[in-house]
Amino acid sequence: MADATATIANEVQCAVRERRPFSIAATLKNKWFLYAVSITAFFGIWKYVDYTQVLGNGIAPPEAVVVQIFRLTGDTIAGKSLWGHIWASTYRVLIGFAIASAIAVPLGIIMALNRYVNAIVKPVFDLLKPMPPFAWISCAILWFGIDEPSKIFIIVVGTFVPCLLNSYMGIRLIEPQLYDVIRMLGGTRRDEILQVGFPAAFPAIFAGLQISVSIAWTCVLSAELVSARSGLGFIIIQGMQLSKPALVLAGMVVLAFVAWATTLLITGLEKILCPWKREAVVA
Amino acid sequence: MAYEQVKVETPLLLRILPVASILLFFGMWQGLVDFKIVPNTMLASPTQVMELFWEKLFVTDPDGALLSTHAWISIQEAFAGFFLSLLVGIPLGLLMGWFTVAEGLARPIFELIRPIPPVAWIPLTIFWFGIGIPGKVFIIWLSGIVPCVINSYVGVRMTNPTLIQMARTYGATDWGIFTKICIPSALPMVFGAMTISQAYCWTTLVGAEYLAADQGLGYLITMGRRLAMPSMVVLGMICVGLTGVAIGIIIEKVEKRLLAGIRR
Amino acid sequence: METNHEDKIVCRNISKIFIQKGTQRVHVLDDISVNVKRNEFLVILGPGQSGKSTLLRIIAGLETPTTGEISLDGKEIEGPGADRGLVFQSYMLFPWKTVMGNVELGPKLRGIGKKERREIASHYIDLVGLKNFENHYPHQLSGGMKQRVGIARAYANNPELMLLDEPFGQLDAQTRYFMEKETARIWETERRTVLFVTNNIEEAIYLGDRIISLKGKLPGRMHQSYQVDLPRPREHLDMKFLELRHQITEASDLTL
Repeated sequence: MADATATIANEVQCAVRERRPFSIAATLKNKWFLYAVSITAFFGIWKYVDYTQVLGNGIAPPEAVVVQIFRLTGDTIAGKSLWGHIWASTYRVLIGFAIASAIAVPLGIIMALNRYVNAIVKPVFDLLKPMPPFAWISCAILWFGIDEPSKIFIIVVGTFVPCLLNSYMGIRLIEPQLYDVIRMLGGTRRDEILQVGFPAAFPAIFAGLQISVSIAWTCVLSAELVSARSGLGFIIIQGMQLSKPALVLAGMVVLAFVAWATTLLITGLEKILCPWKREAVVA
Repeated sequence: MAYEQVKVETPLLLRILPVASILLFFGMWQGLVDFKIVPNTMLASPTQVMELFWEKLFVTDPDGALLSTHAWISIQEAFAGFFLSLLVGIPLGLLMGWFTVAEGLARPIFELIRPIPPVAWIPLTIFWFGIGIPGKVFIIWLSGIVPCVINSYVGVRMTNPTLIQMARTYGATDWGIFTKICIPSALPMVFGAMTISQAYCWTTLVGAEYLAADQGLGYLITMGRRLAMPSMVVLGMICVGLTGVAIGIIIEKVEKRLLAGIRR
Repeated sequence: METNHEDKIVCRNISKIFIQKGTQRVHVLDDISVNVKRNEFLVILGPGQSGKSTLLRIIAGLETPTTGEISLDGKEIEGPGADRGLVFQSYMLFPWKTVMGNVELGPKLRGIGKKERREIASHYIDLVGLKNFENHYPHQLSGGMKQRVGIARAYANNPELMLLDEPFGQLDAQTRYFMEKETARIWETERRTVLFVTNNIEEAIYLGDRIISLKGKLPGRMHQSYQVDLPRPREHLDMKFLELRHQITEASDLTL
């Protein structure tokens, strides 16, 4: 019985770190040094472009953007502070995303498991799939006006496709022999779905959710650029209409940050819910 | 007795259902308009769209151009942005994958730009380029570049380490290994990037045309809304979808041709 | 059907033809008749592509034979079930469940209460030698350990028949010898009727009470039957072992 534990020991891995002598060449090649150089150069060029007015009035120096962001947290635009606008956009993303995934994920799973449902839904889905979410904006405005529902509609449309596809593929790509295991243990078809289908498809479903979230942000942004009275897209449009590039850039920076934060959230959620190892999915 | 049930054909029901589903879809759509369940100001029926389609092939009213002109402009813009993004993104990604210097310098900038949706750049590009084609191409370029860089980067990183070690035992230089081993090895991923990038480009195109255009399929959709002509809106949408699919198929065929000699 | 009450499984004239791609017919098994006795360790030996895995899957109930009959304890086999346990060549553990989760799955599906099924599972995890690994996930285990979980999982459901489909095919030689010893030990501790498929002659002689060899090349046909009367535990270098090995090698297409 003691032999049992020995077998895993063959695979001990050692992390070896070499101590190399300090040299200029080594520093120049060091990743972190280069990152630092790159970021400095980026801001430097930015500042320079603003200084020489190459792009005319079209750009604001980095400091102006930072100042602008701080000002926004205090002042209001169209009645809301920065946080209000962030929340407005986030709120739309969350609702749209929730609605879309609540429908798309179960539907994708059912389609993958039942050939008849698949035969009914897939043709219509394939027909509607190629139309980019933006193309639906005009439709949405025609139907829902320029208020909240039209924006949420766009987000739903945009996030629906990746959610459904990933759930569908997640079930389809399950190793068929895993179902055999359940059958050999005396399980029913229902057991097959619950014990194998859902858990095995989980990683793929999460991959779909991640893709959907970034698409959701693009959708909400485009919806807000077209017609909005609040939100980060609104801030950007205001900047454009008032010819204040600092405002535009401020909006972009905040947007990037918030979108990045939501992606991080989903990744974190996945790590908690799926503690087992999985294959890396390349976007 | 246990005998094998030989199922060679899919059951009849399974073959009818897809067709029935599509017919039902169009039928309901037509019905919604014909029976005035939805007002005609909000939705156009399939027949109305078809009529408009036929008209737009020959008539420039009311938006100022033939359907083919719009489509052609959109395609040109998309391809311009697409090719430029391939031109910049793929070499950049490949270099980043192999040379630490390249990665060190390019990566932070890339990671800063990446979370920003391409559409967010529209106001800035209007400042810089005004309303017109260069601005739109710039945004399409931005959106197409991301998958190119990522896929090329991953393609190079996934090169079989054994091949690299083997090359080193032959005394190959860094640059030599890069050109002779990493790049060929990364080609499948690179070609995969083409399809993804094209899809992104096409999607962004419609968004770009929304805000700043006087021609193009995206503009057509917007005009449809402004003129309260839902048939134009739907026509534009369908054209966008179909053209996107057509381009996708073409790119896929090109990809297959180029990859013919290389086994994945 | 006349059956000896000693026989656990009776296969008569089994043959199997697969239909591939709509029209291509692949003849995998031809006229196989096997009787497996109660608590016997029967090995089916054959080179690759001889249909032996298919035969096992038919007995498991995952495939239906094109012609012929199979019965378990006199009753015809109609599908998979908890009365037969299958150990897969590629382990097929559920990566989202721990070792305990995997092993207790069978009893769980049959509705056995938590405390009781934990006990059952613990007993078998202990039996296969993985006592302190109940809460590990499969990706943290080595190949041999994963297969032991597979064996424990099949055992935990208390099947009347254990089917093993080239279970050690993916392990390295050292681990393979070790697992053969473990399998013999486990079987001696808790006897069941076992049907074991392999392409390795030494493994067959080491483990089996009786060996049935299939001819190579599709369709698989019955070739020879060998009775292994060596006392356990067996020695690979024992004279009688080597004689039998020689005998089988000469008669078959398998090279050593």
